[in-house]
Amino acid sequence: MALLQTTATLFNKELRTELRSRELITTTIVFIVLVVVLFSFTFDPTSTESRRFGPGLLWLAFLFAASLMLQPCFLREQLNDTLSAVRMASPDPFAIFLAKLAANTMFLLLTELLMLPVFAVLYNVPVWHVLPSLALVLFSGSLGICVAGTGVAAISAQARMRELLLPLLLLPLLSPVLIASTEATAALLAGQPVLRLDWVGFLAAFDLVFLTALWLFGEFLLEE
Amino acid sequence: MKNLDSVFAAYMVGWGVFFLYQLTVSRRVASLRDEIEQLRISLKREK
Amino acid sequence: MKKNLFALLVVLMLGWAAYASFFVAPTENTMGVIQRIFYLHMPSAIVAFCAFLVTFVANLLYVFRRQQRWDWLAVSAAEVGLAYITVVLITGPIWAHPVWGIWWTWDARLTSTFVLWLLYISYLLLRTLIEDPHRRALASAVYGIFAFLDVPLVHMSIRWWRTQHPQPVLMGGPGTGLDSRMKIVLLYSFIALLSLMIFLVRQRYELEAMRGQADVLRREAEAA
Repeated sequence: MALLQTTATLFNKELRTELRSRELITTTIVFIVLVVVLFSFTFDPTSTESRRFGPGLLWLAFLFAASLMLQPCFLREQLNDTLSAVRMASPDPFAIFLAKLAANTMFLLLTELLMLPVFAVLYNVPVWHVLPSLALVLFSGSLGICVAGTGVAAISAQARMRELLLPLLLLPLLSPVLIASTEATAALLAGQPVLRLDWVGFLAAFDLVFLTALWLFGEFLLEE
Repeated sequence: MKNLDSVFAAYMVGWGVFFLYQLTVSRRVASLRDEIEQLRISLKREK
Repeated sequence: MKKNLFALLVVLMLGWAAYASFFVAPTENTMGVIQRIFYLHMPSAIVAFCAFLVTFVANLLYVFRRQQRWDWLAVSAAEVGLAYITVVLITGPIWAHPVWGIWWTWDARLTSTFVLWLLYISYLLLRTLIEDPHRRALASAVYGIFAFLDVPLVHMSIRWWRTQHPQPVLMGGPGTGLDSRMKIVLLYSFIALLSLMIFLVRQRYELEAMRGQADVLRREAEAA
């Protein structure tokens, strides 16, 4: 219970920091729009072609966007020297990760939801009729990205060239997430939409494995 | 005996990688050994 | 003295393994002489995996015991494992080209080996970008644990994904009904390559230990 309380307080703090500037969400949205538009030059975006390439392109865009978006979550604390204060305030260091994880996942999902209509219109892929199942896939995939990403952000914040290092460390770790969520999304956007529960289950397993790893080993990343 | 050259190439490359790796490691060991020696000497002189 | 003797023994074993794989093992029926690469290729893959297992265990031991030697062992085994994976990735296409007619295919095993290679490249890259030895050891240990936990997930996802596609043609898969002489030669090669791995890791460990020593001396020299 104490863990949840601390998490809620820290989560509030993360939200307020972001709401004050809104820089994270705005830049991420602009980035995703850019990728989606630039990608349209590389193939002929008719409806059938889009169905083949669309899901992969969408998730690649989310993956790269996330690797930019996750940068500040520990870097900001380090640059402002607030990490030790946060650590002292929370009895369980896992709460820090949990709060940042929740905030990151929320931001990522928000940008994804804002991007979905743009993608659907630009690439002629109807998404409305599968929205609930798609939301499930988006949630489990984004959670996977953020669970691994929050841990890796805490690692890369301690190194030189951190901005470059984070994607390098994160993207190979996330290749299972990319495969599973792309396949699940492709199955939903196909002519006969099906919810591939095996892939969603795989994503859930990924989330669980890395959440456990973060719970067991995350605290060592916050040591002075 | 078709493709025998490919098999040879594979073995050469494989062993080459191990050999080169061993070579770089032993080089680095040698240069570090020198450096440690020198550091020891300069430290002794200062004492 | 002992080290030189061990080196000599390793060289002899490697020579014997090579001799055996050319002259003792029978020529494979469908693929012919090219299949002899198998005796270098497959044991290397297993030895690489052993090396990464050593890295993982050493990472765990470092996190819980905080003794520098575990960090030294982890980086040594990771680097040697990477050398083995490199050999696997080079010998694979040399074998594949005459048999399949192509150098590379995005088959499940090839792809997951490639991702494994990328993961450990990232691990070693991370180590070069953190100065403080304690911080470097801890951060990279946690990343190493993440990477190793990711390996089964990568493998599973790629397998599920690729089995939905046709298998590459002419997959006269070795491992099915191996001749007993083939098995013996395989065992020779495995033992020889494993001994080489132990030799290389010891050598690399010595280097890492000397680095630690040099760091201490350098700091003393600066303080004086």
